[in-house]
Amino acid sequence: MHRSEKGFKSPIDLSETDIVAAMKDIQGYIDISPGDFREIFQVAYRHALERLVESRTAADIMTSPVHQVALGTDLRETAAFLSARGISGVPVVDQQGRLAGVVSEKDFLVKMGLGRNASFMQIIAHCLNNKGCVATQLRNHRVEEIMTTPAISAGPEISVEAISDLFIDRQINRLPLVDTEGRLLGIVTRTDLLHAYRLSC
Amino acid sequence: MKYFEKMRGNGQSPPQVSPAEVCWSWIGSFLGIAAVALIHYRLLDQLGLTMIIGSFGASAVLLYGAIRSPLAQPRNLLGGHILSAFIGVTAHLLLAEIPWLAAAVAVSSSIAVMHLTRTLHPPGGATALIAVTGGDSVYTLGYLYILMPVALGAAVMLVVALVVNNIPKTRKYPEFWW
Repeated sequence: MHRSEKGFKSPIDLSETDIVAAMKDIQGYIDISPGDFREIFQVAYRHALERLVESRTAADIMTSPVHQVALGTDLRETAAFLSARGISGVPVVDQQGRLAGVVSEKDFLVKMGLGRNASFMQIIAHCLNNKGCVATQLRNHRVEEIMTTPAISAGPEISVEAISDLFIDRQINRLPLVDTEGRLLGIVTRTDLLHAYRLSC
Repeated sequence: MKYFEKMRGNGQSPPQVSPAEVCWSWIGSFLGIAAVALIHYRLLDQLGLTMIIGSFGASAVLLYGAIRSPLAQPRNLLGGHILSAFIGVTAHLLLAEIPWLAAAVAVSSSIAVMHLTRTLHPPGGATALIAVTGGDSVYTLGYLYILMPVALGAAVMLVVALVVNNIPKTRKYPEFWW
């Protein structure tokens, strides 16, 4: 697999002494050299790991219940919500709990007239140059005016591998998961995804 | 540099087997070769037929001495011997005028075909070589060589392996049939 390192070592690093001891325990002549067995073990371990990781689905790794804001939420409130929870984006839902969009830092930056990839220093420079804060223009606007919609979402059965591909191909940082009626079930963030690849080690 | 580095052989040899394993290897191979040799000397020799060829000695090593080996399984034993015998006889028929080439083609083609058919059995190489170098007693058999001594002898040794290798608790044969 492209994601695995070539030089991967399993956490249980069998020594050839262990293998020779096992070969002695098992009666009969086994025509494999301990070194070859060790190599097979390591490669097989890597395959097992990939199988375990890739057989997991969003439902196994998602964060749920998930932080969310309702349609109609004021941007000031939305910003306070994000900063209070230390998150950079959040799904937006309608009154029935259906996913309406996703709002993230990037949407705020765009609304402020900065690029999607503006840095904190750019904001400071912008504020100092313009005798005031560019964020003031966000007042009295609602979240649906700036959110990304329709949001990229998926069902809870999507595989971890497919999520990784989505993150890379669509350049997103979180994937809301919805049921067949579009109701928000949970979210997979980059952090969740990292854990999925680490936990099974 | 790397090329010569590979010649050092940094691995280690598998451990020695237990005395019980040595005993069962001895018993199995004694009985296996005895069965083939008895049929040869008591029955067939008088009729001018052959049952025993040198490659069976090699098969005995695998069949009774390394019974877990993929090389020692029925598919490999029968497939390896029979395919190699066919290739050996064919090589002799086509290239009898150039014995060195017939010998080389017989063995190398046998290995390739055994690989392709997943029937690799080292003694098969000897079976193919004997078809080319075995002298008139082998040449007169023609393709009959495949059936006797090769297939029949291998079958007798297989029966003995099935009987003997499953007697001790620590042994089980075969790992797979086909």
